[in-house]
Amino acid sequence: MKQTRTHYSDAQNNVIDRILATEDALVPSSGFLASVMERVREEAAAPAPIPFPWKRALPGAIVIAGMLGAGAFELVREGLPAAGEFALTTPHLSVAMEQPLEQAGWVALALGVSVFSWLVSKRLAGGSGLL
Amino acid sequence: MQPERRRTGPTVCRGANHSMTTTTHAAEDLADVDSVLAGDVQAFEGIVRRWQAPLVNMAWRYCRDRGRAEELAQEAFLRAWRGLASWRRDSSFSTWLFALAANVYRSDLKRFPTVTVPVDEAPEPSRPATQHHALAAQQSTDSVRRAVLALPSRYREPVILFYFHEMDVAAAARTMGLPEGTLKARLSRARALLRSRFPHLESEHAAMEFGDLKTGKEAGQ
Repeated sequence: MKQTRTHYSDAQNNVIDRILATEDALVPSSGFLASVMERVREEAAAPAPIPFPWKRALPGAIVIAGMLGAGAFELVREGLPAAGEFALTTPHLSVAMEQPLEQAGWVALALGVSVFSWLVSKRLAGGSGLL
Repeated sequence: MQPERRRTGPTVCRGANHSMTTTTHAAEDLADVDSVLAGDVQAFEGIVRRWQAPLVNMAWRYCRDRGRAEELAQEAFLRAWRGLASWRRDSSFSTWLFALAANVYRSDLKRFPTVTVPVDEAPEPSRPATQHHALAAQQSTDSVRRAVLALPSRYREPVILFYFHEMDVAAAARTMGLPEGTLKARLSRARALLRSRFPHLESEHAAMEFGDLKTGKEAGQ
């Protein structure tokens, strides 16, 4: 019975093979080659894309990497002694609420740094910003 | 940028054997690639001339739309042009080109899929007894080919490439960048799906062949 089923599926596979393997082939239209070559020539004639200004961006990238490195170092330096004294405590939301001015100061500072970095990057990129 | 859609479609002919081309044109491909990389844009024409038929036919099997097949093939050639320097020459140029084209076709068809129905809803061929045998055979063949496009994508592409490469598992696996075993497994599953969709295919084709034989004998008498 199993042999009959195998024979049956083999025969079906043969029919599928015959149908899918013996397919008519398309001949590309007469203008295809010319059309491709026209596009290729257009691409070849187009000016090369402007490369990313790595030289200008490098100092900024180094500063950012340095700041991140220093931040990570500080985090580890401060975090290691504190890890020994780790204890679960409930957060004191009221403490944060008591110092709204201090929080606002930090937010203002972050915004200031963001605006400053945007202005610097705009200037480095050639002054074509939104403003 | 989308290439302009041509009105005149390609014509159809029987038996374009691209595997023969693959082996005989390796030296010409190498020479043309070297010339192009040295700055001779015109040398790319040789590459397009040699590979236009296989690439258009491959695209045709992916989408079954002549106009779109040419657009896809054109896009594949442009990608090849841009990335010619990235051909590492550890495989043949044709292997690299087919793999690149398969990527182009796959990603384009993901973005703009062909209009297909699920494989379970693909139309089954009508019974041959009621129609002329040749017409019934053609309908049956068309149904099976349409059903391939309706297969789930992970099974569809192995089937397309396996038959495009004239049932060469290794070549199809190289084009897809898959191990041969994986391709065989997917192929087997795809065939099982097609068999379950067309359970009477074998008997129908046998009947058609018998009918053709009978008609031929009658005509001969």
